[in-house]
Amino acid sequence: MRGCAFTGGLVLLSLALFVTCMGCHGRIGEPNDQDELMRPEEVISFDRLYQQNCSACHGENGSGGPALDLSNPTYQALVDDASLKRWITSGMPGTQMPAFGESAGGFLTEQQIDALVAGMRARWMFKKSAGVAMPSYLATIVGNAGHGEAIFQASCVSCHRQDKQKITNTSYLALVSDQSLRTIVIAGRPDLGQPDWEHVRPGQPLADQDVSDIVAYLHSLRSDTPGQPYPDESAKR
Amino acid sequence: MRRLKVLYEWFDRRLQLGEPIKEMALHPVPNKTASWWYVFGSAAFVLLMLQIVTGILLALVYVPSAGQAWNSLNVLNHQLTLGWFLRAMHGWGSNFMVAVVLIHMAQVFLFGAYKFPRELTWVLGVFLLLMTLGMAFTGQVLRFDQDAYWGLGIGASIASRVPFVGNWAVHMMLGGPIIAGATLSRFFAFHVFVIPGMLLAFACLHVWMVLKLGINEWPMPGRIVRRATYAAEYHKLTKKDGRAFVPGAVWKDAFFSAAILAAVAVCAAVLGPYGPGGRPDPTIIQTAPKPDFFFLWLYAVLSYLPPSLETPFLLIAPALGIAGLVALPFCAGEGEKSWHRRPVAILMLTSIALAWSVLTHLGTFTPWSPKMTAWSGGSPVPVRYTHDASPLQRQGAIVFQSKQCRNCHSIAGVGGQRGPALDLVASRMTEDQLIRQVLQGGGNMPAYGKNLSPSEVTALVSFLETLHPANEPPAADASRNAAAVLVTPAHQ
Repeated sequence: MRGCAFTGGLVLLSLALFVTCMGCHGRIGEPNDQDELMRPEEVISFDRLYQQNCSACHGENGSGGPALDLSNPTYQALVDDASLKRWITSGMPGTQMPAFGESAGGFLTEQQIDALVAGMRARWMFKKSAGVAMPSYLATIVGNAGHGEAIFQASCVSCHRQDKQKITNTSYLALVSDQSLRTIVIAGRPDLGQPDWEHVRPGQPLADQDVSDIVAYLHSLRSDTPGQPYPDESAKR
Repeated sequence: MRRLKVLYEWFDRRLQLGEPIKEMALHPVPNKTASWWYVFGSAAFVLLMLQIVTGILLALVYVPSAGQAWNSLNVLNHQLTLGWFLRAMHGWGSNFMVAVVLIHMAQVFLFGAYKFPRELTWVLGVFLLLMTLGMAFTGQVLRFDQDAYWGLGIGASIASRVPFVGNWAVHMMLGGPIIAGATLSRFFAFHVFVIPGMLLAFACLHVWMVLKLGINEWPMPGRIVRRATYAAEYHKLTKKDGRAFVPGAVWKDAFFSAAILAAVAVCAAVLGPYGPGGRPDPTIIQTAPKPDFFFLWLYAVLSYLPPSLETPFLLIAPALGIAGLVALPFCAGEGEKSWHRRPVAILMLTSIALAWSVLTHLGTFTPWSPKMTAWSGGSPVPVRYTHDASPLQRQGAIVFQSKQCRNCHSIAGVGGQRGPALDLVASRMTEDQLIRQVLQGGGNMPAYGKNLSPSEVTALVSFLETLHPANEPPAADASRNAAAVLVTPAHQ
């Protein structure tokens, strides 16, 4: 009889376990696997494409990742469709953004890249009330490095002076292009609490010229031989 | 009531089945065998019945052609009422059947039930096990998805390694030089006619012998099996301390079988059917096929074996294993049955069970293989690692992703397990050691010196340097501190 009670208990326990699993599984019914059954090049669900190709660097919901936060509405307002599509297809020169388009050796078809661009726009682009005109995405003016340094010293150094946020590091500068510097100066990283062009200087948004100057200044700091070991100590010696 | 009796008598007079069935039902079994330990055989038989019934229902819809098999399974999954449940019952029934057959075998081994006079019952049981595994493999092929396609590829390449007749064996197995429609027809015939027919006939013979020879008595230490005296002793035991099989022992079998069927149904409902996975199309390369769970151990073994040992293992080990199982009752047909006096048997069973579970477990997460999608899909480097990082360290985190370090090294539990997890790497390696490891590789790691620019290495290492617990400083090279102290005064 004891064995009987034991078996009964075991059965009840396993049933309870299954019911718990059921809670995790969500629902009972026909499998929901339409996406998995498609050929990989036929998938055009934004969620799936983003999760498979972008999330590891740009963050699960477009924020919090090590690379640029795509869900930043300022960034979405800044960048044009053609550029976005070009960066995804062929990668972004001078940065670590790899090429995903079939034409450049990746796995994504043109339709899939369109779906990614459209999905980002639908999800993360909000029309902001037009206040001050935003600097343009692509640089149109030649920057003045001297003026850029002055702005940098006045407005950026308060944060970027410390070792922690140092952006004048030559290794860092070797891994970002002038365009990506320009993008981040304008759009900021709200997910990390870093300000955009409007808020970096209290009451005085950066003008297109200012942005170009800052980028020109940072460009002038680039080194021909970045990434040498122990740069600080060799400087001391 | 009277009419029923007349009807029964009319049939029984012609069929003559009443007496033998009554005799079978009422045959005495030793009291102690009316135990929960003796229910696995009947459960396996009931599962076989379940597989036959669900299999016939599936065959009403399934199309055994290379072009349509996959589609017909999706019709079952998505368009027919409860079609998914039918597929799930058949799939989970198969899993349970393999599991119950293995447990039954272990129990029979442990209880010494293979000894005289039940040698042939055991040998038939060994064949039944092989056929059950054969059903499992051929069934996996009929699913005809990516796993099936590549599983067949593995099967064919195993067959091709047989000396002299390898090519011919592959041709026989695939029904031609490639995996195609003929292959599926062939496996359909095996899965639906050949193996089940043999399985059913052998299983009936197996049960027949159990009924005729009597169920194995509960093993007692000191009760020795001898060919000369066993039959008389068993007869005496059932006389003195026995009960009728029905209803004395059968209710436990019935209850357990019902519980197993219920468990299959719950698994099927909750966990759903097996696949079909992606289309069986060899041009789709974004796939990592894996066998069903009962062959995962083999998958793990083959992954760990050095290439030179693969063929000997594949061709010799199964032959030895089967020969050993068949020879067992003839080598140890007499003597002690009790596990209290058979330490070697216990040791063998536990080692095999342990090895099997460890290998199966390893097969589920394949630590030997990089996860090829970890770099672009899946979770990013956790926010807590990069939120307060410097721009350079954040670039390092991107290098970590984009140069696919994560395919082999996990962070925060996500990523490959080919190399060590790097969550605490800075507390065990200094900056210099990290740079050297990245540039030159070592251990199992390839050298990345030619694939990374100096700034990428610097960024990557500066990111890796942050991976240490908050209350523990990163590993540092003491000589560098000393050098710094020596250098600084000279400059002042």
